[in-house]
Formats: sequence, C-alpha cells, structure tokens
Amino acid sequence: MRQQNQEKVHTTLRHYDEGKLSRRKFLRNMSILGVSAFVANAVSLSPLGATKAFAAIHAAEERAWELAKAAAAKAEKKTLTLLIPTGSIGNMTPYVDKWRDELGITLQFIEEPDEVVHTKGMQEAVARTGTYDVMMPTAMSYPDWIDAGVIYDLTEWTEQYDPELFHPEWGVVFPASHHAQLYNGRVAGLLNDGDQITLLCRSDHLDDPNKAKAFEDAHGYKLDVPHTWKEYYNLAKFMHNPSEGFYGSLEYRSPYYVKWMFMQRLISKGRLYFDNELNPTFNSDEGVAALEDMLAMNEFLHPDAFSFTWSSNYNAFGRGEGFMNIVWPSGYKYSKAPSTGPATTGNIRATVMPADTLADGTLLYAGLFCWGYGYAVSRYSANPELAYAYAQWMTSPTISADAIPYLGGYSDPYRRNHMLAPTQRLIDTYSLEYLQILYDNMVNTVPDFCLPGGFEYQDALDREVNACMTGSKSPKQALDDAARAFERITRRTGREKVLKSWLALAKNLAEPIRKASGADKW
Amino acid sequence: MTEPKKLTRLQAIILLVALILTLFPIFWIVMTAIKPPTDWNASPAIWIPSEPTLINFKTLFDPDAIRAYGVGGVSQAATSAVIGSIIASVTATLLSVSIGLFSAIGISRYAKNSKWTPLVILSGRMFIPAAIAVPFVIIFSNIGLTDTYTGLIAIYVAITLPFSTWMLKSFVDDLPREIEEAAMIDGKSRLAAHLTVTIPLIKGGLFATTMFIFILNWSEFLFALVLSYSNINTIPVQLAKYVTATAGTLYGVQAALAVLAMLPLIVVGYFIQSHLARGMTFGAIKQ
Repeated sequence: MRQQNQEKVHTTLRHYDEGKLSRRKFLRNMSILGVSAFVANAVSLSPLGATKAFAAIHAAEERAWELAKAAAAKAEKKTLTLLIPTGSIGNMTPYVDKWRDELGITLQFIEEPDEVVHTKGMQEAVARTGTYDVMMPTAMSYPDWIDAGVIYDLTEWTEQYDPELFHPEWGVVFPASHHAQLYNGRVAGLLNDGDQITLLCRSDHLDDPNKAKAFEDAHGYKLDVPHTWKEYYNLAKFMHNPSEGFYGSLEYRSPYYVKWMFMQRLISKGRLYFDNELNPTFNSDEGVAALEDMLAMNEFLHPDAFSFTWSSNYNAFGRGEGFMNIVWPSGYKYSKAPSTGPATTGNIRATVMPADTLADGTLLYAGLFCWGYGYAVSRYSANPELAYAYAQWMTSPTISADAIPYLGGYSDPYRRNHMLAPTQRLIDTYSLEYLQILYDNMVNTVPDFCLPGGFEYQDALDREVNACMTGSKSPKQALDDAARAFERITRRTGREKVLKSWLALAKNLAEPIRKASGADKW
Repeated sequence: MTEPKKLTRLQAIILLVALILTLFPIFWIVMTAIKPPTDWNASPAIWIPSEPTLINFKTLFDPDAIRAYGVGGVSQAATSAVIGSIIASVTATLLSVSIGLFSAIGISRYAKNSKWTPLVILSGRMFIPAAIAVPFVIIFSNIGLTDTYTGLIAIYVAITLPFSTWMLKSFVDDLPREIEEAAMIDGKSRLAAHLTVTIPLIKGGLFATTMFIFILNWSEFLFALVLSYSNINTIPVQLAKYVTATAGTLYGVQAALAVLAMLPLIVVGYFIQSHLARGMTFGAIKQ
C-alpha cells in the first residue's frame, strides 16, 4: 500500500516537472496522497525541480534505507529485536511487513512494563545477553546506559548518515533536539516521541455566555484559557462544582506523577533544578511558592487526583468530570476521540502551559518535556548498523510523520514538520490548532533529569513532593529533605560527572529560560 | 458425632464481615473479568455488568479480539505465559517439595545435634529478593541460564526450599519415631521405613506444603521479570504487560488472566481440602 502510494507520489512529481500538471492540481494530488501542504508547496516552488526537492525531505529516510539494505545483506542473524515499553507497539507494527519482505529482516518486539525498561537496560550491562538490538528508553536512561556501556554513542553514525536532527525545516524541535537526544553533546538516542505537557480546557464551558459574564464580573477580565498560573487557579476555583461531579482541574497529585506538576511550576518561576555548581535550587523561595500554589489548588482538584494514573486521569476527563487537565499529547487524542472522550469530543480548547510572573514583572512561559521515548542501539547487538538504520529510518522526517498517527503507540509529534507542516493524518489525529500549541510549548521546554542518576533524582523529588501534598511535611521541610537526598545521590554518582552533564543540558535551553534562571551567565 | 456449636449473633456478624472482606476482592476480579472495556473504569463503579462479556478472556488468547471495542495495541497472547507458569511452577514445586521432604527427614531424624543446620537453611529465605536478583542475573548470564526455564526453575527451587524443608520438618518432628523404628524392626531399611511409614503418615502436611510452595512459585514476579527476555514468560509478568496507548491499563483483561490463574489453585485446593485441614492442624496436639 505504502509502496503503491510512493509510486503515485513519484509519478505526480514527474508529471509536474514535465509540465503535465498545473500547480493547483499538483498540490491537490499531493494532498490526496498524504503529503503535507508545506512539503507540496515547497517542492512545487523549488528551483531544483519538484522531484529533486521532494527527495531532499526524504533524504534521511533514503539514506537509512540504503544502510539497512547493506547491513541486512551482511547480517547473519536475520532478526532485529527491539526492547520496547508495553503499549508502544502500534507505531512500529505497520512497517514489519516491509522490513521482512524487502530486507528479509524479522522485527521481533520484546515488550516490558514502562517502568522496567530502564532496569532491563541496566541489567544488560551485567548480563550482556545480546538479546536486544534496538532499545526504546526515555531520554533519562541515556546517561546511565552510555556510562554503563549498554548503548552506542550514535554520533559517528549520525555524522555519516545524517538523520537531519537539527534541520531548520524538519529537524527535531529545539531544545528537545538537544536535551532529549544528546548526552554531553554526543548523540545517545534518536527521539521518537514528543512527550510534553500542555493544558486542556472545556470549550463548552468557556463559551457559555452566563459563565462568561459571571466570571468577568467576578475577576474583571474575560473568561478564556488561562495564560498565567494565577488565572489557572481562578478558573479552577470558578468552575469547581463538586456537587455536580465537576471539578476545577484534574491535575495529578499521585505518587510518580506529582513531581512533574512541581517541576513544571518551578521552571515557570524561572528556577532550574540545580545551580552552576550542582547545588539544588528548588528548596528556594520559588520552590516553596510552587508547592504552596499546588497545596492551594488541592481544594479544586478531582477527588481521584491523589491516585490518578495517566489512563484513569484521561478517562475521568473524557467522562466530563473536570474543566481543566494537564496532559501529554496523548491526552488530547483521548479527549478528542468520541470513544474515549464522550463528554470532551469537540469540546476541547488547548493552550501552552501557563506563565508565571517573574520578579521584574515579565511573564515566563516554560514547558516541561517529560518522559519522551527514543531509539538507542545496544552495544551487544549482533547487527548494530542495522539497528541504527532502523532507528534513523523510523525517526526520519517522512516515516515518523507516517508512524505517529497510528493508534496503539505512544509516539507524539517532535519534528518541526510534524507540527508546522503536518500531513492530513497528523491533522486528523491532533488538529492544526493543537499541533501549533505543541510547537509553541515545545520551544520552551525544560527536560526531565536527563543526567547520570536521573531516575534517582526524580524518585527522591517525587517522594518529598508527595509527602508535602499529603500533609506529612511542610513545603520547606520537604524541599530541604529532597535537597539533602540530591546531595547524597550526587556524591554517590560522582559530582564531576553529573555537573558536566548538567551544564551541557542547561546550555541548550530556550533563551528566556536561560536568562530567567541565570544559566545564560554560567 | 458432636453437634456443631451454634454461633452467637456477635460471632455470626464477625464471621460475616470476615467473609465479605475475604471474598470481596475475588468478587471484584470476577466481575471485572466479565465487564466490557467501557465498564472497567466507569464512575460510579459498576458492580455487576449489565451486559457481561467473555471478550476479556478471548483477548487473552486472541489479542485482536478486543479491537471490537476500539482498544488496539494488545500484541501478545497469554498462551506462552500460562504454559510457562505451569512448566516453571509445577516442576519447581515438585523438586522443592521432594528435596525438602528428604532434608526434613534428615534434619528431624539424623541431625539432632546439628542445631545450626535448620537455621542455615532458613537463612536462605532471609535475603531480600531484590538484593539477590541482580547477582543471580550475572551468575546466570555467565552460565547461560537467563531466559531459560531451567534457570527459572533453579531459582524457584532455591528460594522455596527453606520453606518446604521447615514446614515438612515440623510434620516429621511431630510423628513419633517409634513408628518408624517398629517398621525397621520388622525388617525394613531406613529408606523403606520412611517411604512406607513416615511419608504416608504426614500426607496431609505434604499436601499443605505442596500447595503452599506451588502458590509461592505460581505468583512469583521479580525473578521471572529479571530473568525473562523473549523465550520464557509467566502469568505475573504477563499481567504487568497489559497496558496500551489506546486504553491505558486493560483492567478487564488483567482480571480475566487473574481469574484463570486462580482456577488451578481453587480446583486443586478443593480436591485436597481434607488433607489440607489435616496438614494445617497436624501436630497441634503434642504427644
């Protein structure tokens, strides 16, 4: 099917170059064939001619395929084994037949629970079974996996076969291009999932004229999606109606998720996690204020907020049990689909994460890039080149745009062309408006703890934030305890090593965030 | 035969509460197993589904079955997990109980002066499993036992042997050794005396121990998780894999597998219940 489609695309390109098609007809035909308006327009105007220009965006895919053909021909083991988190397979299965039929390579998927993938990788450092060729962790695993010798540094391959990670038109959106793929400036993995959190509101309530009037009377400004955390609080309070089973927000307070709610608020206040000497900075006035804001919000949250997992959270929002929700892009898909969002389908208005007001009165918009899977190549793979070729091919601008909309996988948009020049299938899955919001939010994202010992830092922070939210510790005490735990983790992991990695991360953040946090002077 | 004692009202209430507390999780799992996906997470909770379905059970063996409800992404049938659990648990239980039985007889009858031996055996159970999991992975990978049933069974035997030895030792201890000695006076060898006298007399304890060890093996998660890659799988590991991007955790399918996993225990428990009762109370009255 895909092969047939490609042939049709190439015929259309040739006919256009030969003058057999008008520009309008060319654009229409390309759109029918699933090519984005951006790509069709660009190639139609290119002085190179449409066929050559079209090849340019396909170049990363083509190079990966050529490498895959060569590596597959050499390979003695004709199976490529992938370690993937359960629930992610849907983005990969559509290509199994192509790899088998055209390369003679069987793709075998080993699914492990999400929270086990990192451990399985670390286990491979000692077990060295060579079972996996491609591994699909989050960016937080890269530092530990590289240091433990579990995965290859991909830099030389990326220099040779250029996956166009930083291309101005279809590269991975900065700064995720750096913080979700590099470790100490070297490529550790290829991102395949743009996990960031954005805010969803119920448009049917925003558009209710009675509510609009009552809100404006009460607050002196128009009822709209929140632009600041203060407005977010006001909205949650205003919409909160527990007697009707309708709550202000479905923000997480559950263990494992609650740290992200804190990290998001902290970076909105212009604070990062460490200073330039790796001293924790969250046990500061800004950190305490972030926790106090969260405590104040607790009154207007869904009663299940303290036990939500992502799926129970999405389901509750989809059933219409709240006005706002902080979600990964998949949450938007859930809320948009009638089957999973019976009360929210057609009733969603999304926005970037709210801003906070800095001391100088400016608004700082910051996003949180949390989780986000990528492909890494196992050092114990029998066919590492083939494994790399798979990773580049799957994450190329064209194949990734095709793979993301498939159901049954976690992949969300991460390249510029996914958001700014989407294919019709991407638009159908996310909507043009939401793709633009994803882009606007992603350019300001700060990553998870993508550092050596990253999971330990996150767990320590999560424990303390949770202790604060459940009332067993005051905000200051919780953050001081977390800071002490951070010091212990740093000592154990190696201060020099973590500091080097932290400075490399902080160097590649959005300029407003670097400026607000003072990282621009480090 | 004595008449059963009548319960007082208070005793009856306490018993009823205990019964509800015990049976409620089973009731909930069975109900969830026959709920369609739309009812798994319903709020307020649906106690008894209005349209019961077997789709969750079907999905266990045909992962695409649940697509009828718009849930995609289940990629693996539970067949290999069920077979794997049977292979690992049955073999490991038989080995553990067999070895434990002879250890118990040995310690009880012939190692009276070696007071540390039973404690040393029990100390194998004192390690936190998570602390020994990684060393086992390293050792097993060096000798090619990761991702094999042989490796998994070896671990299961190692971690359950202290239990089987100690449980069976208590049953053997309570059996008067004069009975075995009488058999030996009648001309039986030591081994024959134990095989024909000791073991039949502690049959109840043997069944109870077997059942207990089987439950331990059947529900073991950690070692199965760290030792499995692609060749072996067990039910507890498979249960953790029912998460999809389209529907989150598949509670109904998990419940269906849990119901299936409970069945052999219930069936075996039912048939050996008289032995179990004897085994549990064996030695309660000292000679």
